[in-house]
Amino acid sequence: MYRIRFHGRGGQGIKVTSRILGSALFMNGYEIQDAPRYGAERRGAPIFAYVRASKNSIFERGIVRNPDLIVVADESLIPLPAAAVIQGADEHTVLLLNTRIDAQTWKERLNFPGTVLSFDAYICFEEQQDERFTGTACVGAASRLLGLFDKSILKEAINEELQEMKSEIIEKNITIALKAYDLMEPYEHCVNSSKKTDALNYVKPHWVELPFENARTSAPVIHATLTSENVPTGLWRTLHPIIHYEHCHRCWWNCSTFCPDSAINVNEESFPVIDYDHCKGCLICSTICPSHAIEVISESEARKRMEKKEEE
Amino acid sequence: MKRKLLTGNGAAAWGARLAKADYIPAFPITPQTEIIETLAKWIDTDEMEGRLVTLESEHSMITAAGTAASTGVRVFTATSSQGLLYAMEMLYTVAGWRAPLVLVNVSRGLSAPITLEADHNDVMAARDSGFLQIHCSTCQEVLDGVIMAYRISEDQKIRLPIIVNLDGFYLSFTREPVELPDKEAVDAFLPPFDAGNIKLRANMPESQAVVVLGGSPYSYFRYEMHLAEMNGLNIYESVAGEFKKHFGREYASVESYRTDDAEYLFVMMGSFATKAKEAVDRLRDAGWTIGLLRPRLFRPFPAPTFQKLCRGKKAVAVIDQNLSMGKGGILHGELASALYGHNEMPTILASFIGGLGGRDISTEEFFEMANVIKRSFEEGSTPPPRLLYTDEELREIRKLQTIANVERNSLKGEQ
Amino acid sequence: MNENIKKLKDLPSTHLMGTGTPMCAGCGGLEALHQVYDILGKNTVIINAAGCMTLLSVYPFTPFSGSWIYTAMASAPAGAQGVRDALDILRKKGSITEEEDLQVVVLTGDGSAYGMGMSATSGAMDRDLDFIYLCYDNEGYGNTGQQYSQATPHAAQTATSKSALGFTGYKKDLFSIWAAHKPAYVATVIGSEPLDLAKKIEKAKGLKGPKMIIALSPCPTGWDFDPSKTVDIGKLAVKTGIWPLKEYIDGKVIHTKIPKKRLNIEAYLKEQGRFSHLFEPTRNESLLAELQKKVDTYWEEIENG
Repeated sequence: MYRIRFHGRGGQGIKVTSRILGSALFMNGYEIQDAPRYGAERRGAPIFAYVRASKNSIFERGIVRNPDLIVVADESLIPLPAAAVIQGADEHTVLLLNTRIDAQTWKERLNFPGTVLSFDAYICFEEQQDERFTGTACVGAASRLLGLFDKSILKEAINEELQEMKSEIIEKNITIALKAYDLMEPYEHCVNSSKKTDALNYVKPHWVELPFENARTSAPVIHATLTSENVPTGLWRTLHPIIHYEHCHRCWWNCSTFCPDSAINVNEESFPVIDYDHCKGCLICSTICPSHAIEVISESEARKRMEKKEEE
Repeated sequence: MKRKLLTGNGAAAWGARLAKADYIPAFPITPQTEIIETLAKWIDTDEMEGRLVTLESEHSMITAAGTAASTGVRVFTATSSQGLLYAMEMLYTVAGWRAPLVLVNVSRGLSAPITLEADHNDVMAARDSGFLQIHCSTCQEVLDGVIMAYRISEDQKIRLPIIVNLDGFYLSFTREPVELPDKEAVDAFLPPFDAGNIKLRANMPESQAVVVLGGSPYSYFRYEMHLAEMNGLNIYESVAGEFKKHFGREYASVESYRTDDAEYLFVMMGSFATKAKEAVDRLRDAGWTIGLLRPRLFRPFPAPTFQKLCRGKKAVAVIDQNLSMGKGGILHGELASALYGHNEMPTILASFIGGLGGRDISTEEFFEMANVIKRSFEEGSTPPPRLLYTDEELREIRKLQTIANVERNSLKGEQ
Repeated sequence: MNENIKKLKDLPSTHLMGTGTPMCAGCGGLEALHQVYDILGKNTVIINAAGCMTLLSVYPFTPFSGSWIYTAMASAPAGAQGVRDALDILRKKGSITEEEDLQVVVLTGDGSAYGMGMSATSGAMDRDLDFIYLCYDNEGYGNTGQQYSQATPHAAQTATSKSALGFTGYKKDLFSIWAAHKPAYVATVIGSEPLDLAKKIEKAKGLKGPKMIIALSPCPTGWDFDPSKTVDIGKLAVKTGIWPLKEYIDGKVIHTKIPKKRLNIEAYLKEQGRFSHLFEPTRNESLLAELQKKVDTYWEEIENG
């Protein structure tokens, strides 16, 4: 059995991605199970999807604990514990990252036990907008790594899963997926199925007797305020607003009021300051700023500028 | 202390009054309505402090009950049957909030078909919710039960809501002598409400009842509720012990009537269990060694007590005044799972269903049930479950069916 | 009545709602809520019904400076009843002081307010409950994927109305239904008009009884537009006259903003993917005319008294 896990953000088409792979494998004679895993449906929030494929009946359910292949469509998810991107990986697992950073660096950063492969989905895109098809690029690449079906089946699966969409969109998805498929040629068939679990030599589950705890502790009550500030929603950003203070007229009642997430604070001099730990990049501030003082750049560009600054 | 004639509903209202309930969200439903009418009258005439508010549905009523308790006041409410089911979502919810409060359920058969008289399907439907359950068989027990229920529910080791159940009509509208404890005696037994660590105040903001995502965290909260409810086994005993000291009346979690030397047992809940006592007495007169076990505490289920009391008995007849469609008697199933695998348990655990919608169970039926389990024990085989119904009753319904224009053919038993 | 906010500059410059919630980027509902919260202050308990905002607090994270309790989808106003009554009982007993008392605020989406919660809301108003009700109206069951609700406008595409005609029903007039109960106050607001919103919330704060607020909440995810446009679309909702800003008080309905020269509603509809079927592949002239007529009729009746 092959077990594949996709990680991405709401809005990147991860569910469709997993279904394209599921369909392709099904078309090629596999029994499959594919499912996305939602919290609540949110653009930008981490989501994952998994695919199981076997020539026999699949007697597994739920999350993939021991993935053979992990595909990460959005590298900004990696530091997020909630995204659990490398959970369950071992020496046999292949980690495919959509990134410009080289695989070796990632392997060291993550202390990853298995194989790490990088690919840059952007190479497959024709224009900036194609970013929304990141998931498709990922499934194209993943398909080559699995090496279980050829291009024509991948194309058929995309047609099947995207049939509700306009034909230009379907064509675009196919182009991107096939480009990614070609890109991964050197790594064809590098994914191996994991060994079957050993019923004799297994790690015992560490069962405990749950102690009774009184209601203050054990009722679903948060005895605090503002703990949400621990959640770095800034990691959702793909676009980055920057206030150019030389143009700013300090009409903070616009940007600070209109920011839905309370992520624009007003400092002592009445200048608005963006809280980048939490700004989700909705760009309302930039849109409504009367003096057009808020520039928008890509998040990756913003990170580059930050790294440059740190070097200086 | 004085003895008054009170209906079961009246006794419930007195329980709430003596417990000094602060807040009574209400909604009328037969056969409970007299409870809230009585309380409303007392509040209107200043005989009782407290606020009674009629909500627009039982679902809203239980919501208001739960939020008021979570804010920090002592809450009393009451319902029956369809009302209990309409509120069912909120029963589970309010228990999950760990809101302590007393809900009196006046048991009534469930729709469809809709009816008005008593059985236990309504309160049984709440058994998984996290509410504790006390079942009463006399009006005295109702009053005492409400007072004890507050002690149990508000105990920091529990902090869960509790249902006190009484049968519609047979208790709710039936007067019996009830000893009314003095206010001061109740105050000595039941201290004022202590909101403890969960309450709503401006100076200590809390986010209550929040979303919990992830199977592991969710499991923690749910298991803890169960552990809290299980604490009810010990706490019920200690509260009952204290109640006896204060008021002289004893309420074991399972009442054992003439069971010490018994070979055979009836097991039954609610007011009809009183009839089983009469049957026991008559059977004893005729030479039987038989007794009755009547659980008062149904949730948490007093499994260890039942194991002790059933040890060494030959055969048991469980009489359920409820019916789980597609399975059978609920008390029977609960008892079977509590006894299975323990040493010296009765070989015969027979199931009888009776009293649905208030259908009477005659003393002769009890005698016959005793004979069935005796024969079964001697033959060594468990009888199939029996739905108590007589030939006369079947003829009666045929007559009704004629009027209702059911085909003549079927009267002769043809398809 | 305490009306401290007269100009935009008077709006609060610090915000009580915390960051880090999982609401979509550009959420129009959150935009309205955080503005309302700033005016109400932290001595509040928000009683919530099932909807997008239920996810504001996921254990152990909460963005609130005050209190919060999640109830169920249909009964948040009943929950508010229980809290308000309990606080009143505690005040009467002297167990809590005025400083420890809380404003009781119900927060629901349109799914609850226009539908399942109608009975509980009606009951609460009927009992003259002293509370504020804030409905964030994104015109559909948002949290489950934007299926149509009783607040969905005619012709909108939703997850359960995907034909070329979109939703064949009509948006319920919740304002009138609520006003028919003769509560202390009813108002429509929108996060893109913060001054109008702030004045109304301040006014509501000073009244006793049910204060009912509907905030149209442009929803990037459900209405299909770029999150950066939430405020622009809100302003268009007002400028086209589709979202009248009004209040009901002392038996009268007063419009707090009357657009002088109403823009054609197309300006609003074109911005949203949920109405794109009215323009592509061909313009649906009859539906567009019908929608425009509805808006025109509404304002003609207002202008003619």
